Amino acid sequence: MHSSFENPLSVERQKIELEQLAAVVQSGTPLRKLVHWVAGIRASVHTKLLAGFLVVTLIFIAMAGVSLQTIVSTTRQARLLDEAHEQVSWAQQSEQALARQMHFTDLALLSQDEVAIAKILRENNRFNDMLAKLEAAGITEQSLVEQIRSSQDEAMAVVADIANAIRDGKIGGATGELLHRQQRLDDEISTRVGRLVEAQRSRMTRLRDSVAAANRKSLILTSVFAVTAVVLALLCGFVISWSFILPVREAQTFLDQVAAGNFGGRISVPNRDELGVLADRMNHMSEELQRFDTEQRRAAAELGRLNDQLAQTSKAKSEFLANMSHELRTPMNAILGFTEMLLDGLYGDVPAALKEPLTDIQVNGRHLLRLINDVLDLSKIEAGRMELALGEYSVREVVDIVQVSLRSLAAEKGLEFATSVPDDLPVAYGDNRRLTQCLMNLAGNAIKFTKQGRVEIGVELAGNELIYRVSDTGMGIPKDELENVFAEFRQIDATITREFGGTGLGLSITKRFVEMHDGRIWVESEIGKGCTFFFAVPLRTKHEGI
Amino acid sequence: MSEQTILYVEDNEYNRKIVRQLLDRTSYRLIEAADGEAGVALAQEKLPNLILMDVQLPKMSGLDATRVLKTDARTSHIPIIVITSFALSGDREKAAEAGASSYLAKPYSPRELLALVRQYLPET
Repeated sequence: MHSSFENPLSVERQKIELEQLAAVVQSGTPLRKLVHWVAGIRASVHTKLLAGFLVVTLIFIAMAGVSLQTIVSTTRQARLLDEAHEQVSWAQQSEQALARQMHFTDLALLSQDEVAIAKILRENNRFNDMLAKLEAAGITEQSLVEQIRSSQDEAMAVVADIANAIRDGKIGGATGELLHRQQRLDDEISTRVGRLVEAQRSRMTRLRDSVAAANRKSLILTSVFAVTAVVLALLCGFVISWSFILPVREAQTFLDQVAAGNFGGRISVPNRDELGVLADRMNHMSEELQRFDTEQRRAAAELGRLNDQLAQTSKAKSEFLANMSHELRTPMNAILGFTEMLLDGLYGDVPAALKEPLTDIQVNGRHLLRLINDVLDLSKIEAGRMELALGEYSVREVVDIVQVSLRSLAAEKGLEFATSVPDDLPVAYGDNRRLTQCLMNLAGNAIKFTKQGRVEIGVELAGNELIYRVSDTGMGIPKDELENVFAEFRQIDATITREFGGTGLGLSITKRFVEMHDGRIWVESEIGKGCTFFFAVPLRTKHEGI
Repeated sequence: MSEQTILYVEDNEYNRKIVRQLLDRTSYRLIEAADGEAGVALAQEKLPNLILMDVQLPKMSGLDATRVLKTDARTSHIPIIVITSFALSGDREKAAEAGASSYLAKPYSPRELLALVRQYLPET
């Protein structure tokens, strides 16, 4: 039988045994019926356990009762046996007394001595005592006792005759007759007392046999009862425990399924106790879970559909942007191209009065183009369609391109324009076109907002970070505006836009590009003394994306 | 010495006009096509010395046309300058993959275009 006293090392084996047991309980029809019947009793687990323990206790009390009864009966039998033994002893003592009496009688006859007569009487008394004791014990051989007593009386009459003969001195003549009478009586009494002794002895033997049989019987009865009690107790414990184990196992299987994501299953247990209630709750939970699951799946499907829609919309937007980009640039190409060719004198000398308006067309055309480019760039970034073209690049080349492009603009305004790039910078990795665009935006702004003084571009390597720096001696940015400078369409005020032009998108786009490089951008400024913009990007950018 | 012929494939009339007027004062001879298919056909027929190819063209894109011409044994030697609207990132790479010799972003400066043309095809 399975017990909790097993070696903890054999847990695995125990588990297998439990499985086998479970199989037995679920297949063995009578046992299964019993377990299901107990499970189906409408009572609490507490009550069932109490009842089970009560049954077991009652069984053992009954067993104790049976054992007690056996002990009492055995004691009684032993007492009876003792009595019988005593009676046998009395019978034997009476027989011995009789023998001695006869012996003394013979002696009296031979020695003609009255002392012997006294001894005869003493033995006779002892004999009578024993006989009286036997009679008092209620032996069944009362008639035999009567016969013995009457014979004994006769014998005592002979003894009296002997005594008289001795006293009268006539013993010699009467000896033969007395001896004869005495002999007959002796034989008669001896035989009868022998029968009595025999009767007592056989009674005792019978009693002993019957006691042995009774003892054997009670031993068997007690054993059978004990075995039955143990089996019943075990059965009771087994059935009750399995009436709890089965639903728990069902619940285990059920919960495993739930854990595996199979919702909506049902658990069915025969129990009408707390475990039954628990099973009902689990079924309820299962239904709820399935409902939630279905809802969630529906929501996920809906989300997926919306996502697809969004992706399609986004794609459409991206395509629209690409098309717009083409559509906007094509006429810009013609406007700027014709203006340039006009100014280059391709169509003949340009009259002096036309030079300025033609240059205005060109400047504004270029500005419009920059606006278009910035808006398209920002739209693309926001649509998540902007991708970096990563590659190896030379920091010096980036700075040089910016310097060459803006040199004339700085010179026109009479600004000092310097760059400082260490000679020993290693080859960097990133999107050089976008980084050039960033530096161009910052340096362009610096030149635009500086009326006099200098603008400087500097680069330095700090650990694995490249720090680009653009400083100017312009008007500076008030402290409370510092954090807004990178927001879209922000300039300190509208008059600046009118005075200096610009789209207000350059810094915002620069910030996005820097962040796409896993970098950061910041500004330090003091009103009236100018400001310094920094952006730091990894020397080698690892991946794309914001 | 024979005339040096340049083929310009571009659907926009004004842009064609710019190049036409730009090259008018040079020794180059310009032939024009307004879509990709016509461009390919004209290139195969006339075998020009240089091709200027816009990317966004009707019927066949400039990149596809470039690919066709580069796989054709008769035209594969002709340098092709691809002109894009500079809209989508990776245009430069796509142009190089298709087999373009060079790449020019729109809007281009006529001066720059002429300089690039002269680089590939020195005027005689």
